[in-house]
This record gives sequence, structure tokens and C-alpha cells, in this order.
Amino acid sequence: MKNSFDEKILEEANDWIKTNQKVVLATVIQTWGSSPRQVGSRMIVNEKGDFSGSVSGGCVESAVVRECIGIIKDNKAFKKIEFKVSNESAWEVGLACGGEIAVYLEQLN
Amino acid sequence: MKINTLKEIIQKKENKNEFAIITNLKTGESEIYETGKNLGKDLEKYSDQIKNFYNSKKNGIIEGTEIFVETYVRPIKVIVVGAVHIAQYLVDFAKSLNFEISIIDPRGYFASAERFPDLNIINKWPDEAFKEIETNSKTALIALTHDPKIDDPALQHALNKKFYYIGALGSKKTHTNRCERLKEAGFTDEQINSIHGPIGIKLGGKSAPEIALSIIAQLVSVTYSK
Repeated sequence: MKNSFDEKILEEANDWIKTNQKVVLATVIQTWGSSPRQVGSRMIVNEKGDFSGSVSGGCVESAVVRECIGIIKDNKAFKKIEFKVSNESAWEVGLACGGEIAVYLEQLN
Repeated sequence: MKINTLKEIIQKKENKNEFAIITNLKTGESEIYETGKNLGKDLEKYSDQIKNFYNSKKNGIIEGTEIFVETYVRPIKVIVVGAVHIAQYLVDFAKSLNFEISIIDPRGYFASAERFPDLNIINKWPDEAFKEIETNSKTALIALTHDPKIDDPALQHALNKKFYYIGALGSKKTHTNRCERLKEAGFTDEQINSIHGPIGIKLGGKSAPEIALSIIAQLVSVTYSK
């Protein structure tokens, strides 16, 4: 049976907006291989870089926060970003689990 | 996404509606779709594909398009019989999961709004209470009183309506006696064996929150296996 276990991120986004914060919504739209979070997983980020929710198991959140701040600064409406397997010997952002994910970022306005 | 769309989504979730958020990844436009609703200009040409995808209740990008769909299903209805200590913890766990709990208990001193704030409490015997709740094969029952007068009629209702999960609290001995009573009432072995009794997965804990956790864990596991 399908059950949409709900993390109330959209409700939190609405609360942030009520306090005049600029909010970007990040949603996992595609996954390949073993990715930690399923399609539809969400995270929100404000202009200061505060965030709530998740799009991975902590692997790519920092990069997502940077991208979201960029979107707010450049006043872009939306952007799609992809993350692939990380090279363990390098200090780069990626998914140690070997999966790949596509994340869609959109400003709430 | 527009703030008005966000607000509408939150409202629909609160009202426990079934709907989907459709996003055109190319244009950034998003809108809400429900059965019978016409799609806006931006998404109109994908109408058939969106409807098919929506009916499958999946989340994802429709193949060959740039349309992302996220479907919201109605929360699963869980009937708890017995407004006991364990039920208070069950309600806490259910808050972060997509379960909609109703509590039935004819004993007013248990089923009080003070003990269960903001919850649907039906202070009646199960036979009467079930007249107020629509139930089907997508409903779950958790019987917690281990009092045959209260639990048995609820179990019989759940078996007749083919609930997807039926669990009953009580020791092995209590459960054996319960099974015998249901057999006498005319239920088949197959029906009786579908009851999870003693309820919950084996965690080893005996406190009220630990028992509640073992019950909710079993409920989640059975939900995904059906």
C-alpha cells in the first residue's frame, strides 16, 4: 500500500515565508542506483543558509544550500542540479552510497 | 512555486484530500491536480499522461517528458480500541507518520479529551461507534483493552470488513481464548490467523512506549507489504 509519510516541510516553508524569509524548495525528482532518499524528498533553504528537511543522507545538503543561496541572490526562478558518485579520495561533494540524484530547486514567490 | 499554490497544498493536506502537485520542470510552473480537474494551459497537452501517472499513485518524472508528479494519498485510517496508556504513545508516534487515528472506548474516564487532545474519540461501544466511521480493507484495527466485551465486537467488525491489519493486545493465553471465541462465533481459521496476536514485533521492551513502538513498527511493516 502506498503511504505518503509526511515530513511537513511545505508547512514549515509557509511558516518561514510568514516571517518574511526568502525560501527555496529543493525536491528530489529522480534517483539512480542506491540513493538515500526517495523521489519527492524535500528540503527548504533560506537566504541565510538555514535549512530543514533533506534530499540525501547528509551527503549533498551543503552543496544544495550553496545553490539555493545562489538562486536567491541571482533571483532565478528554478534550477535542476545532479549529483553523482563521489571520489572517496577527493574532498568533493557527492554520494558515497554510489547513487545518483537529481534535485529541483525552485523559489517560493 | 507560487505561494498561493503552496497554501492550497497545505489546505488540501489538512482536509485529507487526494491530489497531486504537477511541475513543469522546463517552465517552472506548478499546479494542483485532482480527479476531474482540468489542467491549465501549460500542462494541458500532457493531460492523458498526467492522469495515468496520477492513478498509479507514484512520484516521479513522466517518461519522455519534463513533467514531475508528486501524489498525495489519504492518510491510512487506524482504529484504536481502548483509550489506555499505550494508546497515548501510539498517538504520539502516529503524528509523524501518515496515520489518522480514531479511538473507541465506552469507558468515559479513559476516553477523555484531556487524555487525548485534538483526536477523534468515540465514547461508545464498538458496535455503535463503527456506525460513525467508514471502514474498508484499507483500514487498520489495534485492539488494546484485552477485555472481550470491548475488543471482540471490534475484532469481528474488522474481520468482516477485511481490514488489512488487525492486531490485538494480550498474552498468548489471552489470545488463544480470544481465537476460540471467534471460532465459536463462526470465523474461519484463516480469518482468525490473520489477527496479529499477541500484537507487535518482538523488541523485548515491556513499558507502554516500547509496546506502542513495537505495534507501530508492525503496522508500518504490514502497510508496505500489502
